[in-house]
Amino acid sequence: MQQLVIGVSRKLAVVARIALWISGTGLVLMTAAVAWQVFGRYVLNATPVWTEVTAVLLMGWFIFLGAAVGIREGYHLSFDIMLYILPTRVKAVLFTISDLLVAGFALGMTFYGLQLAQGTWSNTISGLGLPRGVTFLGLLTGGGLMVIFSLERVARRFVGLPTARFGETELTGD
Amino acid sequence: QDIVLRSSDTHPPGYPTVAAVEYMGELISERTDGRIAVQVYHSAQLGEESDTIEQTQFGVIDLNRISMGPFNNLIEATKAPSMPFIFRDVAHMRAVMDGEIGEEILAEFDDHNLVGLAFYDAGARSMYNRQRPIESLEDMEGLRIRVIQSDLFVDMIGALGANATPMPYGEVYSSIQTGVIDGVENNWPSYESSGHYEVAGYYTLTEHLIVPEVLVMSKPSWDALSEEDQAIIREAAQDSVAHQRELWEAREATSEEHVRAAGATVNEIDKGPFQEAMGPVYERHAESDELRTLIERIQAVE
Amino acid sequence: MEHWILFGTFAGLLLIGTPVAFCLGIASIATVMYIGLPPLVVFQRLNSGVSVYALMAIPFFIYAGELMVRGDIARRLVALAGALVGHLRGGLGQVNIVASCLFGGISGSAAADASAIGGLMVPQMKERGYGADYAVNITVVSSIIALMLPPSHNLIIYSIAGGGRISIADLFAAGIIPGMLLALSLMVTAWVVAKRRGYPVGTFPGLQMLGVIFVSALPGLVLIGIIFGGVRSGVFTASESSCIAVVYAIFITVLVYRSLSWQAFVAATLGAVRTTAMVLLVIGCAASFGWLMAYLQVPTAIVLFMQTVSDNPIIVLLLINIMLLFLGTFMDMSPLIVITTPIFLPVAMAFGIDPVHFGIIMILNLGIGLCTPPVGAVLFVGCAVGKVPIGTVLRTIWPFYGAAVATLMLVTYVPALSLWLPSLFR
Ligand code: NA
Ligand code: NA
Repeated sequence: MQQLVIGVSRKLAVVARIALWISGTGLVLMTAAVAWQVFGRYVLNATPVWTEVTAVLLMGWFIFLGAAVGIREGYHLSFDIMLYILPTRVKAVLFTISDLLVAGFALGMTFYGLQLAQGTWSNTISGLGLPRGVTFLGLLTGGGLMVIFSLERVARRFVGLPTARFGETELTGD
Repeated sequence: QDIVLRSSDTHPPGYPTVAAVEYMGELISERTDGRIAVQVYHSAQLGEESDTIEQTQFGVIDLNRISMGPFNNLIEATKAPSMPFIFRDVAHMRAVMDGEIGEEILAEFDDHNLVGLAFYDAGARSMYNRQRPIESLEDMEGLRIRVIQSDLFVDMIGALGANATPMPYGEVYSSIQTGVIDGVENNWPSYESSGHYEVAGYYTLTEHLIVPEVLVMSKPSWDALSEEDQAIIREAAQDSVAHQRELWEAREATSEEHVRAAGATVNEIDKGPFQEAMGPVYERHAESDELRTLIERIQAVE
Repeated sequence: MEHWILFGTFAGLLLIGTPVAFCLGIASIATVMYIGLPPLVVFQRLNSGVSVYALMAIPFFIYAGELMVRGDIARRLVALAGALVGHLRGGLGQVNIVASCLFGGISGSAAADASAIGGLMVPQMKERGYGADYAVNITVVSSIIALMLPPSHNLIIYSIAGGGRISIADLFAAGIIPGMLLALSLMVTAWVVAKRRGYPVGTFPGLQMLGVIFVSALPGLVLIGIIFGGVRSGVFTASESSCIAVVYAIFITVLVYRSLSWQAFVAATLGAVRTTAMVLLVIGCAASFGWLMAYLQVPTAIVLFMQTVSDNPIIVLLLINIMLLFLGTFMDMSPLIVITTPIFLPVAMAFGIDPVHFGIIMILNLGIGLCTPPVGAVLFVGCAVGKVPIGTVLRTIWPFYGAAVATLMLVTYVPALSLWLPSLFR
């Protein structure tokens, strides 16, 4: 059982890595877009009109992908003060409840993200010409990854593997 | 009270549109013996305009007072009254929107899970800047003018020879002050309330856009009402229009007085050359035959 | 009942250790479902909450900070600061506060300030033997200074929310003395805490060595000059300056110092993504939570209750301060300004309080809210860049909260602190 979880976990590590690299690319492109905006205004004397919307759009995407990886690597902030006094067994139960609720919320991100994308697909973004629905792509894909990573945490805990928590376990190094 | 209709507005309390919807709520309360009331959420408490449109479509919000702009990409007919220099003046705009053309445009909202109830005034938008009074089209040359993120606004400013610079509202004041941009375009009340007159002292009455605002209701909320109540709401909305226009005119007058007293320089111009420069904008933004016909019909209204 | 579900779910989840962002999100879902609204609205608010242009300063400054740390700019800057004030007790803490004054004037955003200065200072302070909690405490609370100094976006939002009759120029002038006063009170606190903890006191390296360190830090100093000069002279906006900081940091580390390897660049980028994602997810979920608070009219209810309590101006001001502190604990600054200004301002003015003065009280007060649990964007940024759990920071942050609250009281009851400067400029 533990071997199975370890095997799946290794594959998910690759998925998380890819998601993080995509988000990093998003941050670099966002930097390029805003730098181009300043350059265009002064050097070309024509402010590019797509840069502001593009930068905001990229930010909306990479945040949710990065946040999904955060579930796996445990770098989301939480209050642990009340947990210090509880025995390990009780803590494990509470963390599992918490992970399942997060999975439920993330499922909502995907489900309603899809609905929002569909509902706004016919509306276009000024300055870009893309459908407004694309603004929800990060929400729904990030939500999907969050569901998977939350369930991975539950599975790892169930078979006795460690799960990362902010401030406790070392963050994954690069 | 059985039903409270929640209404969204991005303006602060006391603003003519906020007060008009509250007035409409009073009329509805009276006419339904207090069964239906209206609660206005001002100052964008429930979100910015494009977000509240979705909320209205899904029935989270019942009523929404909103600008025409966010509908431009959704409902083609709303583009016509949003075109620069399409109306000769405010009186022309009112004649059009109060007539059958206005009714036709309101009916278009039906296909988008919304019920169009009424049009409100938002006055005329003009150019203001920190450099110089605009006396002719040449004075626009090279000015960096902040616009909202909208293709139509960008093309309009470009056609006037200026450099359109999309920028979020919150950054505008400091940006004029430091000279990142030279000017902005907006109506009297916004010129005053944003404090922009402190840093951009030349207000030129270009009156390039005279775009009415629209009051819509959520289709799900509408369908939940009896036909009698629907009729009461439609009528109260129509009745609130005259009241809103009065409030609007008073507000414009106070704002104008305030900024003039604060030392802003105001000048009039011949709108002719500005209007003629709009050729490419109309070509690009009035693509369909239906829209072009609608524009011609609007221009033909006396 | 719906109020209890909103706040009860939030508190319950917080207790069992659910990440803060999800406490806010799940509490919002529970409430929306109880009222019978479509849950869709929660996710729409979440998405719009992170898609805000003004928030871009957060990823950019965090990114610039990561690049500077990994590309050796930060070490040289801190070496210079260390040479200059290292012989003072808690020297780097003082540098952190002074940097907030200089930088605050540009960014005008407390979270951006915490990410920029924290990203730079906290690792270096840790390296030099300061406690991580101390470094984060100072970074977090001194970021409030950014809100008081021009060009603070929040003062502009306040002016607009107040109906536009309040001069923004006056507000900008009014914030300067209270901002400096806050800086001073924090510097004293930082000194006292450093002394009690026995933090190391360096030796002055001598003028010649100082010159060498200065030259080596010069390209990093130019960055500060470019940002400051660029915004002041109108080459770019405050938000754009954060992006220019990234571009310049890449330029210097790759071309001038040649200190940034490809691996280091990737590590900086992925590190920035992690920190940003975690902070902005909280901000996005807080947007859903805040939307519900507005929908349920929580701020209005609180204010109405308050108005029935007293008619003594001193008590009223105290009550307003307490109310704002409480609301600021759950909600973000700009929506709170927008919602409460139209309600509080007329009350304050009825008691003869100048609207400019009231604006400064409000901003300082809500700024403290950004640094306090359970929801405080700046506190979270600080913990994120310092890689310290919130609990650890909260155990030792009290003296700094105390200094900020003492400043708030002074600013509240001595109007001249706010009103004297604007009266000179008029
Ligand atoms: Na600081
Ligand atoms: Na707080």
